[in-house]
Amino acid sequence: MYTTLKIFVVFFLLGASGSLMAHELLPTYPKLEQSYVPNVYQTKVRMWNGRMDVEYYKVEVTDSEWNPVPFITNERTFRIKYMERKEIETVIPPDAKVTYICTRAMLEKGNPQKSVISSKVCSKIK
Amino acid sequence: MMYKLLVPLATSILATGAYANTEIIGSVDSKCIIISETPGVYGNPNPYQLTTAPTSGGVKPIIRYDVLVADYYKAVIDHPVEFTSAPTLDDVVNWTGDVTVSEVSDTNMSDYDTNKVEYNNSHEYDLTVSGSTWFTVSSTADYGSTKSFPAGQYTAVVEAECIPL
Repeated sequence: MYTTLKIFVVFFLLGASGSLMAHELLPTYPKLEQSYVPNVYQTKVRMWNGRMDVEYYKVEVTDSEWNPVPFITNERTFRIKYMERKEIETVIPPDAKVTYICTRAMLEKGNPQKSVISSKVCSKIK
Repeated sequence: MMYKLLVPLATSILATGAYANTEIIGSVDSKCIIISETPGVYGNPNPYQLTTAPTSGGVKPIIRYDVLVADYYKAVIDHPVEFTSAPTLDDVVNWTGDVTVSEVSDTNMSDYDTNKVEYNNSHEYDLTVSGSTWFTVSSTADYGSTKSFPAGQYTAVVEAECIPL
């Protein structure tokens, strides 16, 4: 009984301490693959939303100097519910030099109850 | 008659051999997770000042970075330099802030603050050790030269980034 209670307390503390407020993007180093169109490449990254306070994220694709690069994806700003995973496919046009694919948390304006920490996690194409 | 017994036996032995050679393959991939542990609150100790200092009624935001494999990521944390929402302000706001490592899961992370790179309002840390690192952000906004902030709700955002090396 005591052990069960201890486990519950540990999980409660983990939750309360913020382990359920996380943002993750995988893989670290995705690979560009040839699409069915010549010279057009595509890649996939997977995002997990462990942030209870954020439901909207934005995809950003940049070069090595953090300049925006043109890209195509289903939704640049997308909704992903708490504890859900999402696969993000990006298509890169010819001559675009992509280095980083990132997802950025979009915070709701004017809602003081929500967090004021904006998280951004990136994957890098080497 | 002998063959009838031999064939199932041989098949059974071969199958057992194949089963014994079944491999379990596992790999550890690099991963970075940003965890917003404490959102942060501005205290208002003076009419012209908003600060996260706990002695002035504020709460410092705390962000945790978890990295699974060392030397794959860097953390970039920006302390605020503007309000994302505030009443109309007609004077300059002077911002100060800092980011420090407040807790580590591995003692080898203790030199993160010494090795960090600072530019503008950004604080860049190479995450050279796997595990968890807690970063505490402090922020202060002074309005004009001791001018009173108009009444209303003020929000500023801390940006926490995890960038692969």
